[in-house]
Amino acid sequence: MTSRLKYLLAIAAAGALLAAPATFAQTAKLEPIIAPPTQPASAVPATAKAETASTADHSKFKALQQNFKTGPQVTEACLTCHTEAAKQVQHTKHWTWESVDPKTGQKRGKKNIINNYCTSPVSNEKDCMACHAGYGWKDNSFDFTVEKNVDCLICHDTTGTYRKLPGYAGHPVYERVEFPKDSGKFVEAADLKKVAQSIGLPSRSNCGSCHFFGAGGNGAKHGDLDSSLQHPGKYLDVHMDEKGLNFSCVTCHATEKHEVSGSRYNVAAAVKGPAHIRGKTDASPAACQSCHSDKPHSGRMDILNTHTAKIACQTCHIPEYARDAIGTEASWDWSQATVMGPDGKPFARKDSAGRRAFDSKKGAWVWDSYVIPEYRWFNGASTYKVIGDKIDPSQTVHINEVGGEPNAADSRIWPVKVHRGKQPYDKVNNYLTVQHTGGEDDTALWHNYDWQKAIGAGMKAAGLPYSGEYGFVSTDMTWPITHMVAPEHDALSCAQCHSKNGRLQNIAGVYMPSRDGNRLLDLAGWTLVLLSLLGVLIHGGLRIYTSKKKEQLK
Amino acid sequence: MVKIIGGFFAGVTVIGLLVYNFAGSLMFREVPSPFGVEETVARIQQNILNAGNGWSLSGLRNAAKPIEADGGNVLPVLMIEACSTKYSAPILKDDSLRFLSNLMPCKISVYKKNDGKTYIGLMNAQLIGSLFGRKVGEIMGHVAADQAKFIVFDASKPAPAMIKGGSGAAGGGAAGAAGGC
Repeated sequence: MTSRLKYLLAIAAAGALLAAPATFAQTAKLEPIIAPPTQPASAVPATAKAETASTADHSKFKALQQNFKTGPQVTEACLTCHTEAAKQVQHTKHWTWESVDPKTGQKRGKKNIINNYCTSPVSNEKDCMACHAGYGWKDNSFDFTVEKNVDCLICHDTTGTYRKLPGYAGHPVYERVEFPKDSGKFVEAADLKKVAQSIGLPSRSNCGSCHFFGAGGNGAKHGDLDSSLQHPGKYLDVHMDEKGLNFSCVTCHATEKHEVSGSRYNVAAAVKGPAHIRGKTDASPAACQSCHSDKPHSGRMDILNTHTAKIACQTCHIPEYARDAIGTEASWDWSQATVMGPDGKPFARKDSAGRRAFDSKKGAWVWDSYVIPEYRWFNGASTYKVIGDKIDPSQTVHINEVGGEPNAADSRIWPVKVHRGKQPYDKVNNYLTVQHTGGEDDTALWHNYDWQKAIGAGMKAAGLPYSGEYGFVSTDMTWPITHMVAPEHDALSCAQCHSKNGRLQNIAGVYMPSRDGNRLLDLAGWTLVLLSLLGVLIHGGLRIYTSKKKEQLK
Repeated sequence: MVKIIGGFFAGVTVIGLLVYNFAGSLMFREVPSPFGVEETVARIQQNILNAGNGWSLSGLRNAAKPIEADGGNVLPVLMIEACSTKYSAPILKDDSLRFLSNLMPCKISVYKKNDGKTYIGLMNAQLIGSLFGRKVGEIMGHVAADQAKFIVFDASKPAPAMIKGGSGAAGGGAAGAAGGC
């Protein structure tokens, strides 16, 4: 009994001893430590700027020394030397807004799909064609064969002054206008002569003027493309880092005959083989493997090469997308459009970060930034719902479904952005509707806030019957993520996937150690461990017991 | 004697393990937020501004920004800095307690984790205050009570705008000095 008391007292004394430093923490004094003088900060490396390698000074060309009144006049001048350029452009998706699925023959592209952002350009051409590489597409009558309507400047302007605004059917503004209307902000008329004389290879700003602002907002659509990529740091994209490799978009999206490689309609999802020289003929020059090969890891990390048959590079090397305060839209709810404020007038509201959250014209949005991707098996091909395709409104409508399956040779696990929405559909005919939104006419949703008129006009333009009854259906759209590649040290760690609740917890069809297991096998293993432990304890206990017995017998 | 020494060391080990296991979670709290990072920050800021008791915002610091500037990536971590002159003044007036200025201004961090959810990190002001005597314990008790109110959200109210507070939020540098500390 006495010994037990001593034992308890000793424990209490130890506890008191440990607690003492915390109790007297406020009286503890430390001598100030003087840090050694730091080395002067090394000069920040100058921004790497690509020097102009062009052999032609376009300001010296006679054809460009005229006071152009319109964009098509500039194109006519361009074509005097670049005789085949317009014909080449007219074969690309930037001109046709159409893409044909090589497997199914399905016609896709902006012209044919109803997405769950702005929905469809049909009947809204005057606004949407601000992002068409052409002039004058204002309705179904647009002639796709007229060469002078190809817009060279939107991709080749180097002045940064050439802007195309919604409402002008793809033309730049030819006189100073207030934009947005009643905002007090003005856009100057394009100085077409100056722009025409200052052309060059497409820069990040050229591509970004449309691709960063898809769905009518900075970063809204893609998630991995926004204006932060105009001057990106290394953290945001290791290839485009302005002070480092400083890639432009076309460094990877190598172009041949104006056809830009790397379309999301035909993604190179599973490229095999070694790296090869950039710029050579290549089926998929925009793929990571074209520079890095399908076995990019070496030394201690070469075990990771065993992953490349199942996992896209992007899965590990783009741990999050929209990695900036700009963010990206997670959802767009059109059913909230036409909801008015308490005073019966349209209103708009922003979210805490200053991004659009509600607008009586367009509905409600939810934004997110630094987004953890979802993951899908993907073979590079997606099937799309196009205008007129039947839907089942009792379920979420998948506007596109990425192809691919576990263990297929052409499939990899890819990171994706899934954009969710609610949008109108024809309740009788069971298809998504086209609605006329932009413009000042009586049927434009953003003018009259009347869904019936807007859908009626949109469906008429699309050439589809409208029953007169509309509802709202939940939809989603899946976007493979491939930009915003993080530096090597920020790639996903093993445990971020190899764990029960890891990134790939919902990916089926592949065995992943630490995520997957066989219950019976696990049970048998743990039973063996416990039995071993029990054996050691019994054995040790018996040894102690018998040695004490022997001592007592002595 | 051997038993006493053995017991002492056993006690040291047990207490050490307990402290090692629980000290962190006692000193700090983490609660999930129903909102995104920016909205959580904005709502906490509004609660601080409406709290009375001399509370004001001292700044908003983005701890991820310097890491980004150095070429690295971390998920967003925004630190709301707030101060109450009512609580800071008595501590700062006392020479023997001025070293506690290290704990000022009060910080509430809002961050995203790899599960994609937003969390709020708080210091257990009451417990930490109690380590520094009665006076500080009492003051920090009030701070803790106010802090608890800062993270009560009224979801029926629309999201307020985040107050960026000088250069802190944008650049991760020194925050604006609007607050009282």
